[in-house]
Amino acid sequence: MSAGYGRSAVVLHGLLALGVFFLFASSWWMLALPLPSETFTFRQFPFQLHKNIGISLVGVLGVLLYVRLRHRPGPLPSTGMRGWMRTLALADHVILYVLILAACVTGYLSSSYSGWGTTLWWILDLPDWGYENESLNVFYSDLHLWSCWSLLAVIAVHLGGALYHAFRNDGVVRRMLHL
Amino acid sequence: MADSTRPGTPAQSGPAWASWLGITAVVLGLLLAAAQATELVKQAVMVHAAPAAPAAAGAAAACPADELAEEGLSMGECLQLVSNVQNFTVSAPEWFPSWQMALSAAGTMLALLSVIAGVALLDFRAWGPRAAAASFAALTALDAGGFVAVLNTGPILRDLYLWPLLSWFVIHLMMTAAAVAAPRMHECRDDTGRSAGRTPA
Repeated sequence: MSAGYGRSAVVLHGLLALGVFFLFASSWWMLALPLPSETFTFRQFPFQLHKNIGISLVGVLGVLLYVRLRHRPGPLPSTGMRGWMRTLALADHVILYVLILAACVTGYLSSSYSGWGTTLWWILDLPDWGYENESLNVFYSDLHLWSCWSLLAVIAVHLGGALYHAFRNDGVVRRMLHL
Repeated sequence: MADSTRPGTPAQSGPAWASWLGITAVVLGLLLAAAQATELVKQAVMVHAAPAAPAAAGAAAACPADELAEEGLSMGECLQLVSNVQNFTVSAPEWFPSWQMALSAAGTMLALLSVIAGVALLDFRAWGPRAAAASFAALTALDAGGFVAVLNTGPILRDLYLWPLLSWFVIHLMMTAAAVAAPRMHECRDDTGRSAGRTPA
């Protein structure tokens, strides 16, 4: 018998998942809005919201990592998991965290070099880390795009693993998804 | 289902159906919450950012070359982006945005509740099946309400909304039926006392 993750880790994990799914769903829609002009300002609010949630997710990820490292759960239940499965699970988690961080940071840098300012939750004007530079904007925008597509692929592996364990009812998923 | 079962307890501590339905509810609930929240933002943006002057609504899109290169858009696509917005503004009846915002706000909350219900199922809580059945049924009713509303709009919005709404309606109906039927599997026995169903207990 092994103890699961703490309740704070469970809540942070849920917040992170919800935030990432929202960012994907909303970004596909908002990029199909008309380009900004004096007449069309449709992109203003969704882009600010997208950036605010992305920046906040970095904080959520940081707290989640702190909580997970500070309060380590017990060893995995002996569920007949093969060695390569354990390795895949560990690699998947590490890559997942790295890609979430990369997606958020490259998105912010792209925005920074675009000349469009960011106001954190419409309260605090964040400093621009770069001057307006089209080529750097495009460079970080491409990195943002590819880190997001990679993240989606890694999330698919993560979800696949969660579904596998839940369908086996082996107690692995219950370590993270409990009340 | 014993309420005393805690995370990390052996696999045999709860029925497999609860684990299966629980993870389905969690994954679909998170996806739905994100989709409903996006719909809420979408409707709010359509209402608040739409140009006030009717003439401006038909204005040509601004498509500078550097922006086109940055977004990977052709000139034709860029001009067409305005039509995406006009699809909504032209075809939505006056009541539609506020109705849709109310539905998507309720949908976001219910989807999050269904995630909690799903976690309760995974955690083999005694109240999990009832909470799951209630939240799934509420989502089914919400989908039906959304379907009827969109049915009373024009063909453009029907094309955009009806099929996703119908798909979610069927998914939530199946999940409701599962949450109601699965806890009663033990009642499905023949006279010899053997389980009549093939589903795992």
